Amino acid sequence: MTEPKVPAPKPRKSLALAMESSEGSIREHGRDFLIAFYSALRSLKLYPVENDQVQRALDSIFDTARSLYEVEGALELRVSHEFLYVNSVRLRLNLNNYATFSHVLTTLRQCGIGMVDVEEGVQRREWQIFLSQLLAYAPSDGVPDLSGLWQRMAQGGITHILLKPPPEHDEAFGDSEEAKDVAKRAYERSVAVTKELIGGVRMGRTASAKKIKRAVQSIVDQVLRNEVSLVGLTVVRGYDEQIFTHSVNVCIFSVSIGKRIGLTKLQLYDLGMAGLLHDFGKSRIPLEILNSEVPLTEEQEEVVRTHPWQGVLALFGLRGHGEIPYRAMVASYEHHMKTDLSGFPKTIEPRQLSMFSKIVAVANGYDTPPVRSFGKGVPVRPDEVLREMRENKDLGYDPILVKALINLLGVYPVGTCVILDTYEIAVVHGANPDLAQLHRPIVRIVVTAEGGRTDGSALVDLASVDETGNYRRSIIKVTEGLDYGINMSDYSV
Amino acid sequence: MTQPIKPGGADESYVVENLLQILWKALSAVQLYSSNNKIYLQAVDALRGALTLVWQRLDELQLQVSESALLWEDKKVLSQEDKSDSIPWTLFKDGVRSLTLSPGVEDREIIAFLHVIKDARLLAAEDPDDLLTLLWEEDFQHLRYGFVEISSDDVPRIQADTPVSQSESTPVSPGEIRGRLLREVEASGDTPEGVVDVDDFHSTLYFLDDWEVEYLTGEIDQEYQQNLRAKVLEILFEVFELQQNTKVRGEIISIIDSFLPHLLGVGDFQSVTLVVRRLRKLLDETQELTPDHRQAITALPVKLSNPTALGQLIQSLDDAAVQPTKDDIADFFGELGPHVLDTVLAWMPKLTNERVRETLRQVAERVAQEHPEQVVTALKTSDTAVLLQTLQLTSSLKVARLVPDFGRLLRHADTEIRRAAVDALGAIGSASAMKQLERSVEDEDRGIRIASIQYCVQHRYPGVLQKVEAVISGRALRGADLTEKKPFFEAYGLFCGNAGVDPLYQMLNAKRMFRRKDDPETRACAALALGKIGTPEARAALEKAKGVKDPLVRNAVGSALREIGL
Ligand SMILES: [Fe+2]
Repeated sequence: MTEPKVPAPKPRKSLALAMESSEGSIREHGRDFLIAFYSALRSLKLYPVENDQVQRALDSIFDTARSLYEVEGALELRVSHEFLYVNSVRLRLNLNNYATFSHVLTTLRQCGIGMVDVEEGVQRREWQIFLSQLLAYAPSDGVPDLSGLWQRMAQGGITHILLKPPPEHDEAFGDSEEAKDVAKRAYERSVAVTKELIGGVRMGRTASAKKIKRAVQSIVDQVLRNEVSLVGLTVVRGYDEQIFTHSVNVCIFSVSIGKRIGLTKLQLYDLGMAGLLHDFGKSRIPLEILNSEVPLTEEQEEVVRTHPWQGVLALFGLRGHGEIPYRAMVASYEHHMKTDLSGFPKTIEPRQLSMFSKIVAVANGYDTPPVRSFGKGVPVRPDEVLREMRENKDLGYDPILVKALINLLGVYPVGTCVILDTYEIAVVHGANPDLAQLHRPIVRIVVTAEGGRTDGSALVDLASVDETGNYRRSIIKVTEGLDYGINMSDYSV
Repeated sequence: MTQPIKPGGADESYVVENLLQILWKALSAVQLYSSNNKIYLQAVDALRGALTLVWQRLDELQLQVSESALLWEDKKVLSQEDKSDSIPWTLFKDGVRSLTLSPGVEDREIIAFLHVIKDARLLAAEDPDDLLTLLWEEDFQHLRYGFVEISSDDVPRIQADTPVSQSESTPVSPGEIRGRLLREVEASGDTPEGVVDVDDFHSTLYFLDDWEVEYLTGEIDQEYQQNLRAKVLEILFEVFELQQNTKVRGEIISIIDSFLPHLLGVGDFQSVTLVVRRLRKLLDETQELTPDHRQAITALPVKLSNPTALGQLIQSLDDAAVQPTKDDIADFFGELGPHVLDTVLAWMPKLTNERVRETLRQVAERVAQEHPEQVVTALKTSDTAVLLQTLQLTSSLKVARLVPDFGRLLRHADTEIRRAAVDALGAIGSASAMKQLERSVEDEDRGIRIASIQYCVQHRYPGVLQKVEAVISGRALRGADLTEKKPFFEAYGLFCGNAGVDPLYQMLNAKRMFRRKDDPETRACAALALGKIGTPEARAALEKAKGVKDPLVRNAVGSALREIGL
């Protein structure tokens, strides 16, 4: 009998140890490592190398990296989409660390780094050089490019820290075409399900609970993976009736806000469901009122104002298959109540608004018909809505949640048309992932300085600086795209 | 525990095939056994071992899913034609087309995955879940799956918007656009706009402060701690109050009607109690209720407390299907009203769960205390089990009002009932209770006779003397043992006074005329009774008997004298 040809097993480094280490411990050590990474970057930026604080920060990164290596047998820091992974375990964002994580993520991205592979035996000195190079390195023309950094690392004699570019499909700021399409399908299916659901009520039918559930799950997935694409879709108009797209948009904004305030994936699902169903009561409002082309009479307004509690009753009609959507009921009832409990419906007893209701209220406030239904009346600029929500306390939104919304949308929300100091016109594609640069979004140039239209495919980070440290482009003014014949949503689909 | 590898080493596909066979066996174990079963545990161990072997050769394991097989590098590694029991089919049917496992999956996730498969197989078409929704909820980190959308619905694609109708003034040529732009910039001066002025823009404005983080964390906690059902119910009642519309109110009543069984099903007694309270409040406080609504609202709690519904509920408590707190249960029954007593009592003997029995006993006691008339009704039942429970309840409660209803029970055919009635009266212990008890000293049941006479002694009830006298002087005690004789003589001694000294003396000394000589036990009892009389005459009689030969009698005389004292 001939021996079968057996390829030698590929031994993984210290397998036994790797088996022992639980995900939890990687998360914990990984977090410590990242915090050390961030502090070292920060202190190097502020002080000379000899400074005590810098030295302590370097000690700390050296130590945390070494202890991770000891437990794990490997140390890889990887950037993928909007997440950081340590040894393929995704680090969870939470309220106490998201700013730190986001800063590290942005720094790596801007240098065009997809992965930092730390080999055994890395020296403290290597960390110092690597981090200083990261700080000093500005890729030419804002386009992330690793080659320059590689050179400097080699000159600095770094042999234990290897940098790799991001995988091809992982564009620096935009999602890949494929990812964009996945986000689009999720959006389309969610609109279809909502239509089936809300429209079905009028016909005495109900949509499959499974489909609704899947729709919300896919929105949560897409907010976690392709948030920019998905949020971009909220500016599309005319795809379907406004009430359906509005429901999906509120679902998307709610989940995105939820992500920023540290909700878990399953909590995001609960929140998304509440967002998607928040206007379910409108299924009971006569169509001639809902679709009215003329301003509503006071009586008709009153009818519309019944939708929050009508929603509660209507949602009871949905049960029978599956869980009773309690949270959605509460959100439906409360989403037009202001933080001081004015708004509607009026209540008898004082109540404490539920957190999810307040989030849905903020999402709803931003995606409110006058803003989105460009077809009717004068369009309102998204940045103005956001400013109003922040500054006008009478609107009764939870200011901290509005902050989270601004975190998500940036100071210039997606779909905003801006004039740059280069006299180019651009459409905002997404907030800058670096929270410190919320006023410098990622944009698409749609009109050149000469006044010519582009295909809008080039993404530009307004936070990128030239060799002298000056910003390459800055916004000088928000403008009305339509005045220049620009369709904002042309660029988000 | 690891599986042995083929001698001479194994190639990678062997290791993968081996893994999937073990996975399939583990699935059977997961389906058949509970998680603390030995077979289950062995299967899980074997699976972990098999995965460990895979990780010695592969960095991750990517499997393709077809209708009847799992493929690895285009090679079938698990082939299962029989759909009813097939892993590939379960995955394929709901749209899963690929599966990627990576190291770490063996810790927890692979087992969770098997449980998901098991659960998914039990789902019906109309269930709100399918394999994909269940997989999603697990949020696997080491197990990825690719899937296709099975539903063939034609969902329209998003297109970029149709071009906006351009007004005359919309610039088209680059020159026009540039001209317009320059004019706009000039007109606005040079202050950039946005939500904030860039000059005073401070990024920390958008970072959350510590107190804000604290606030959010607190709010999230609260979101998940609130009683959502209660909150939704409050909303329903609020809408009911605010909306006068008959249709709306009718709908809310019917929602609540169908909601109640659900609440009970999940054991949310708190919410049910809330409903019942709020309904009562509606009846009391809402003026403009239509007669129909008034009737429907009145009917709701009644429905809850009908014996069948209540029986269901008690059963679910006993099965521990739901486990509300003792207080919640008590509040709930409290709201239902006293007529639940019958049902509760009827269930008491059938309960297996000690905690529930104890709780329901307290419920019953409370009702009985507050509504003795309900106990009177319960005492009329023909169901002996319920009657017995009721009597036990009255014994522990000592409700004096109930005494007149006992006469009938003391003649009940069932010994156990008579006994319970005697105990109840004994517990009540009032003169009228003792009066009822009198006749039971002649009951045909020995236990009942003894208990009755003991209660009379305990409560010092002289009314029983006549009966006792008849008993001890007649034949009734002839065949009785000491245990029975003793309390009768004791009672006699307590209540007869000096009139009893002589007859007892006769008995003690076995000098009764024309009678068979009394046995030593009876004589000893007579000594005991003299001791109870305790007068100088009784003492004198005892002194005279000091010298009797029978040791039992002599002892009894001694202790009786000691009882009287010097
Ligand atoms: Fe609304």
